[in-house]
Amino acid sequence: MTAIVNRGAVRCAGRTVTRQEVEDFLYAEADILDHWDYDGWLALFEPGARYEIPTTDHRPGWSPHETGSFVDDDWDLLNARVKRLKSRKAHAENPHSRTHRLVSNVRLSEGDTEDAFRVAASFVVHRARDGHFDAYVGWYDHLLVPTDDGLRFRLRRSLLCHESLAAGARLSFIL
Amino acid sequence: MGSNPRTVPAPMIVEDWDQLTFRVNREAYRSAEIFARERGWVWMHTWLYLGHETEIPNPNDFKVRTLGGRPLIFCRDTAGEVHAFLNSCPHRGTVLCRENEGSTRLFQCFYHAWTFRNNGEVAAIPDAGAYESSDEFRASMGLRGVPRLETHEGFVFVSFDPDAPPLLDYLGDAADYMTMIQQQHAGGMTTLPGTQLYSVRGNWKLAVENAMDGYHFAPTHNTFVGYLRESGYAVTDDNQYAYNLGNGHGLLVLTGHGGRISMIWEPRFGEDERVRTEAHRAEMTQRLGEKRAHYVADESHILFVFPNLLLFDIEGLSIRQLEPVAPDQTDVRAWQLVPRDEDPDTRALRMKTVVSFVGPGGLATPDDIEAYEAVQRGIQATAGTAAPELDYSDMSRGMADEAKGVQGRSIDEGAMRGFWRHWIEATGLDDGIEVNGERPASFLAGRDVR
Repeated sequence: MTAIVNRGAVRCAGRTVTRQEVEDFLYAEADILDHWDYDGWLALFEPGARYEIPTTDHRPGWSPHETGSFVDDDWDLLNARVKRLKSRKAHAENPHSRTHRLVSNVRLSEGDTEDAFRVAASFVVHRARDGHFDAYVGWYDHLLVPTDDGLRFRLRRSLLCHESLAAGARLSFIL
Repeated sequence: MGSNPRTVPAPMIVEDWDQLTFRVNREAYRSAEIFARERGWVWMHTWLYLGHETEIPNPNDFKVRTLGGRPLIFCRDTAGEVHAFLNSCPHRGTVLCRENEGSTRLFQCFYHAWTFRNNGEVAAIPDAGAYESSDEFRASMGLRGVPRLETHEGFVFVSFDPDAPPLLDYLGDAADYMTMIQQQHAGGMTTLPGTQLYSVRGNWKLAVENAMDGYHFAPTHNTFVGYLRESGYAVTDDNQYAYNLGNGHGLLVLTGHGGRISMIWEPRFGEDERVRTEAHRAEMTQRLGEKRAHYVADESHILFVFPNLLLFDIEGLSIRQLEPVAPDQTDVRAWQLVPRDEDPDTRALRMKTVVSFVGPGGLATPDDIEAYEAVQRGIQATAGTAAPELDYSDMSRGMADEAKGVQGRSIDEGAMRGFWRHWIEATGLDDGIEVNGERPASFLAGRDVR
């Protein structure tokens, strides 16, 4: 990642977006995911948005289009993922994992385009499943778009700090 | 092992051609003694997949890797030769290289600063005068290489047994399917960075069975099959076959599960890709001939090379390496193998498509992992039971056809039976298999693919 300037607000699409507004958006998303509301989650994306999780050996600057990844979802795959997770035939998440998310260290910066801005944030996701309790630690590197209906994801990317995925820690849920 | 009394049951496998049943004792997935036997017999004596030579393309490149629990350095020396050294200082045993990858001419132990060239020679021993006959001593203190290292089509294998047969003899019919991979593109293939490193709570043999088991595809991957159908592709289990290639190697030939990037177009790949696929397909026919191009391009292959390599030559190409950690835990490492000279749009499509299926964050692999983790938990139910005959898993599917000499289907369990028969030999469990009735004359129906 390039350096993130720690700002209380950023100008984007002709208006000012505050860190508090972004934090409220990320906290709401965490709540939606922890309550397994996948339609509600998909509604936080603009059409055409992407969802990515690079591998644990990821290095800054690597493109998911030219390297292996854990998740490299375009809009169609993101929709397919949500549809799958809502099915009782998504065996890896049936019964569902229990998750609990903490989001912190939220920082805003300008995006590469006029209509989007970048958000960096730290996450800790705890997940209980099959009698085990796993922790996932990393940071988010998102592109957000202000709309009349609130903020929306253009890119939602989760970068793990782990050296590898521990036993049983497969990413069958949303990280 | 050693003088300890053996506690694993005999037989581990009961193969009955009168009843047409094949049963595997579930201790095979649970027992610490079996696990130790596998480490000592299978991992110490067969060829093991180490890595692909394109992972260390330049002189001085290195990666560290673990095989059979032994830390290794996989490197290319300054002169360009590929090596595998034990990642352990010959002096006192310290792990020598503590970076996962990089480029270096010298490996220096941080403990006492002994230093080695990347061809294994000692470069420096501080205060070497303290040792008598220091020249001889120095020569004896080079890095310990693995006894054998051979490469086939860029796939690098090692053996800890100096008497292992030549690699090509060991690979047998599996070798040609690796050649087919190399032949897919005129410019050859290369691995990409971005390695899927993950671990599962299951025995390594469950991962092998899962890969050789077409029977699970429709029920386990119901949601993924649904996605394929919605994106305009017919999915079928018809006319798909399984082959035992000898030495425990197995092959599934699939023609009905998804397209193949740059080989078989399907609607979800888009119109531009259709044009590129047609051009590439024509080039292949020119280069390889009609028949060979057909086998290389028009069918998907899942190839298992005993004991630790799986090649998923499906939508795209994934290399998967298995590293048993404990009876109930396996480390998995997966690399994407791609054409060296690929159109950027095709590459992007390939990565998206491959990752959507394969890997611990895909739409299908998590269900496979769920399945074999669930087996590992579930087989405790019959452990140590008063009715030991219940403590077996059934792998009989397709034996009726096999007895008649009919080629096994991918949705049968014939490839798994081939694996288990070889596993008995490889683990040295000579009394491990009980065969009742008359075995069919031939399990090895060769394929004429040239």
